[in-house]
Amino acid sequence: MTTIPRQPRLSERRRASGIRRGEAASGWLFTAPMLILLGLFLVIPVLMALWVSFSDWSGRGSPFAGSVGFVGFDNYAALLGGGGLAEQDFGTALKNNAWYVVLVVPLQTAVALFLAVMVNRQILKGRGFFRTAFYFPSVTSSVAITVLWLFLFNSTGAVNKLLSFVGVTGPNWFNDPAGILHFGVTTGPAFLENSTALGIPLWDWLGGPSVAMTAFVLLAIFTTSGTFMLLFIAALQNLNGEVFEAAEMDGASGWQRFWRVTLPQLRPTLFTVLTLGLIGCWQVFDQIYTGTRGAPGKTTLTPAYLSYQAAFQDQQWGQGAAIAFLLFVIIVLFTLLQRWVLSEKKVSKRRLRAYRLPETEGGVVAPTGEIRTKERP
Amino acid sequence: MTTPTLHRRANPAGRLILGRSVLYAVLIAIAVVYIFPFLIDVATSFKTESDAAADPLSLVPATITTAAYEKLFLNSDFPIWFKNSAIVTIVVTLGRVFFDSLAGYALARLHFRGRNVMFAGLIAVMSVPAVVLLIPKFLVINQLGIYDSYAGMIIPLLTDAAGIFIMKNFFESIPQSVEEQARIDGAGTFRVFWSVVLPMARPALITIIILSFQGSWNELSHFIISTQSPDLTTLTKGVASLASGQLSQGTQYPLKLAAAAIMTIPVAVVFFVFQKRIMNSSDGAVKE
Amino acid sequence: MQRRTSRWLAAGALAASGALALTACGSGFSSGGGDDSGALTSSNKALSVLIGSSGDAETTAVKAAVADWSSSSGTKATVSAASDLAQQLAQGFSSGKPADVFYLSTDALAGFASNGSLLAYGDKLSNKDDFYPSLVKSFTYDKKFYCAPKDFSTLALEINTDMWKAAGLTDADVPTTWDQLETVAKKLTTAGHVGLGIGGEYARVGAFMTQAGGNLMNADSTKATADSAANVTALDYVKKLENDGTLKFAKDLGAGWGGEAFGKGLAAMTIEGNWITGGLQADYPDVKYTIVPLPKGPAGAGTLQFTNCWGIAADSPNQKAALALVEKLTSADDQLAFSKAFGPMPSIQSAAADWKKANPTLVPFLDAADYAKGVPTAKGAADVVTDFNSKIESLATSDPKTILEATQKNLEALVK
Repeated sequence: MTTIPRQPRLSERRRASGIRRGEAASGWLFTAPMLILLGLFLVIPVLMALWVSFSDWSGRGSPFAGSVGFVGFDNYAALLGGGGLAEQDFGTALKNNAWYVVLVVPLQTAVALFLAVMVNRQILKGRGFFRTAFYFPSVTSSVAITVLWLFLFNSTGAVNKLLSFVGVTGPNWFNDPAGILHFGVTTGPAFLENSTALGIPLWDWLGGPSVAMTAFVLLAIFTTSGTFMLLFIAALQNLNGEVFEAAEMDGASGWQRFWRVTLPQLRPTLFTVLTLGLIGCWQVFDQIYTGTRGAPGKTTLTPAYLSYQAAFQDQQWGQGAAIAFLLFVIIVLFTLLQRWVLSEKKVSKRRLRAYRLPETEGGVVAPTGEIRTKERP
Repeated sequence: MTTPTLHRRANPAGRLILGRSVLYAVLIAIAVVYIFPFLIDVATSFKTESDAAADPLSLVPATITTAAYEKLFLNSDFPIWFKNSAIVTIVVTLGRVFFDSLAGYALARLHFRGRNVMFAGLIAVMSVPAVVLLIPKFLVINQLGIYDSYAGMIIPLLTDAAGIFIMKNFFESIPQSVEEQARIDGAGTFRVFWSVVLPMARPALITIIILSFQGSWNELSHFIISTQSPDLTTLTKGVASLASGQLSQGTQYPLKLAAAAIMTIPVAVVFFVFQKRIMNSSDGAVKE
Repeated sequence: MQRRTSRWLAAGALAASGALALTACGSGFSSGGGDDSGALTSSNKALSVLIGSSGDAETTAVKAAVADWSSSSGTKATVSAASDLAQQLAQGFSSGKPADVFYLSTDALAGFASNGSLLAYGDKLSNKDDFYPSLVKSFTYDKKFYCAPKDFSTLALEINTDMWKAAGLTDADVPTTWDQLETVAKKLTTAGHVGLGIGGEYARVGAFMTQAGGNLMNADSTKATADSAANVTALDYVKKLENDGTLKFAKDLGAGWGGEAFGKGLAAMTIEGNWITGGLQADYPDVKYTIVPLPKGPAGAGTLQFTNCWGIAADSPNQKAALALVEKLTSADDQLAFSKAFGPMPSIQSAAADWKKANPTLVPFLDAADYAKGVPTAKGAADVVTDFNSKIESLATSDPKTILEATQKNLEALVK
């Protein structure tokens, strides 16, 4: 990259005196509010929570008081292998949230991308209207939308009425704890029922989200596809039209152009959308708190809500904090996993050979036949 | 830059029109799916309870009644909730505009030791998921003695890492010449910031205003953990208690939907007013 | 690179010193609230009363009674209805700013008593000998009588008389055994309403368990008895009725509780406690119904008993006034007034005769007190019951034995 002599270097040298004298002080002063607020309400809480998760604080007085004991990994052990209700609840919460993530993230990304591509068409009139319509649900409060959803997905509500028009009897959405992948089968094969992970039978793990959770999945797609659609539109508009022209002239069909030209160029945006989606989905709390609070049958219980419930209702603060940190670890793992899956993989040597120009002494043979000396541009 | 000429395909005109109609049809269908729930919300809030239960899909009430709204405004704490939400949102928005731009400017333009560490710390802090903070924020707020007060509701929300990030990015894109000129003219750092740079930052400030307004109006978990008194309940917490919990006896749907509708109005207004800004602000937000 | 490391060290030191500072100001906190010298705190502060209301009727009644006391005693007091009582209590205790007086259920007692959140004032009550002994037992923890029972209720069977007559049934058909209940429920099930609509939770299904001779725990809540054959029999019976279509859980009928299903005409019979009278009067005044004792099961008569007490917070700055308020609220006059407003029975024996006279139709509730069993009160039992409830929701397609065995395991973990 060509370099232009940078202005700031000159003034950096002048930093110690003259017009930039008070800069260091101002710098600290300006960032002081941020430091204090973020330190007090982000950094210190994390450290405090870490301590509480390793302690047996019962909820009264300060967690740093002398009477609070250090219990090491007891809280974590109870959650991951204790064999009691704590482990089962944690397993249930993880199972529910995992299915939620598996359904919501791909679907909302696909819907957002689809909408973005549709709305980005040059021939479209009323583009502003459509963008507004699709983005509007994203600005509303999750509480308001959940209240609306509770009404729409009532057993005699709008959605079931719509389904009845096509002859399908809709389920009692928010009160139905049956896993959708069970397809009505109530007990599974013995080996799946008897082997458990985190206290929950494998049969339940494979059951998919419950019908109630599915209603929440639809809610998530409804409210977040708009935001991601905007991100995709911005990225699409930044794409260079000439590449598409070249692809078209090479005979690529619409689908091929999308899959092989557009999508790879959207990789950074895709990564952002997937990461934001993962982080958001693993923390779903507001909708559960407003809507079902874990019911029916604990199938809408999520780790975030369980953490809240354990601490603020059952006064098991150590366990609540432990659940929160385990969730943190899960989110980090998933983000790293997703980053690895999406990273630009180096083209293999074998493939690369196909693109290399044949070599002779003195240089490479160009397509025109002449020999060019090897040079790096 | 030359505009690329589109390679015209030899399509018969009919096929083009068919393609376009399909596109419009699909988009309109999806737009209906996205808009209809809100129409149902408003329509149902004007229905009677039995009408809402019997006829959930229709947009026209059998008899239009404002009973739900009356109950909401006269017989419940809804006005208090609205007042609290408004107070918190306005103060937090103003605070964030000020503090985020201060910090963003310092990180972008001022040179002082520790700047890079601070910025790295900011990024790290942005990655901590909110759920981890639910319990400990309660503990900290409690220890500081601001539990169950406006201070406890407002102070923790006064800055946010994302806003600082946005302001920093914006300030970095402003040419330095204007600032240099002001300094040469003898202005102090704060003066340069306040009178010269900040007015130029309007687009970014509007973005911060929109995001803070939306964020604090729609915030729920922070208010759950920072207050317990009924006088300090905000709209989100109040409407949530209407929807589930012991106070949600019965299926008073028109009431709940009326509350949800009114709650959505301020953010909707802000949204429509600043629409263009929101739609365009995502340009350049993705730099990977 | 050296500069970087020293910067990180500085940042780390800053964080550590911040944490230490919090420790310092935190440790000053711990010594408060441990006053068991017997003296009650007193101040001019207004009292806050937190209740878990069953509806408008209850909230209004409590507010009226408290206002009454306020004007006569000169201490201000405010009543608020909780949206989530357990959570609001827990949050209040943890923050050091709890409500002064509040509803406390039997299953919440153990948890809050053990971490010192409650004031054990039972022995200071002037009317402490008037309470029913079984109620006093429910609120005794660690040999201390913690709080005054505010009322109690038992479960009975409510029958919609119009639907009863329409099905051709008479007074002679009132079910007194399980088989008769089954027959009657079948006769009462039509396309428009189900025969028996109850809440899908231990607090209702447990009545059948007591009639079969079992319960989740023993009377002292020291032993888990969930997987007894009696309980399996009871759940099998409920499951049978559910599969026959003559019994449905309220949620499946689209109602929040049995009373709502009953009031909306979705069920011809329901099993609920005293509170149903207030609920029906307020929301569904047109429903005509009678109350009869629950049928006898294989082991005879059985039902569940529910009671709450008036808890006083250990951190309350005005415990003296709180005690005075509680004494008034548990007096015969106030309890009879509450009973009239929203149904529960007075917790003091001296009011029994007056109550029976005033409520001749509700006598089955009070008579059931003779054989009623309480709910588990061991610490942490509430969670296990919640878990049991979540399993019961799908009783129609589950195996009762498995459910009860899982619950047994969970309960055993509590009393280990």
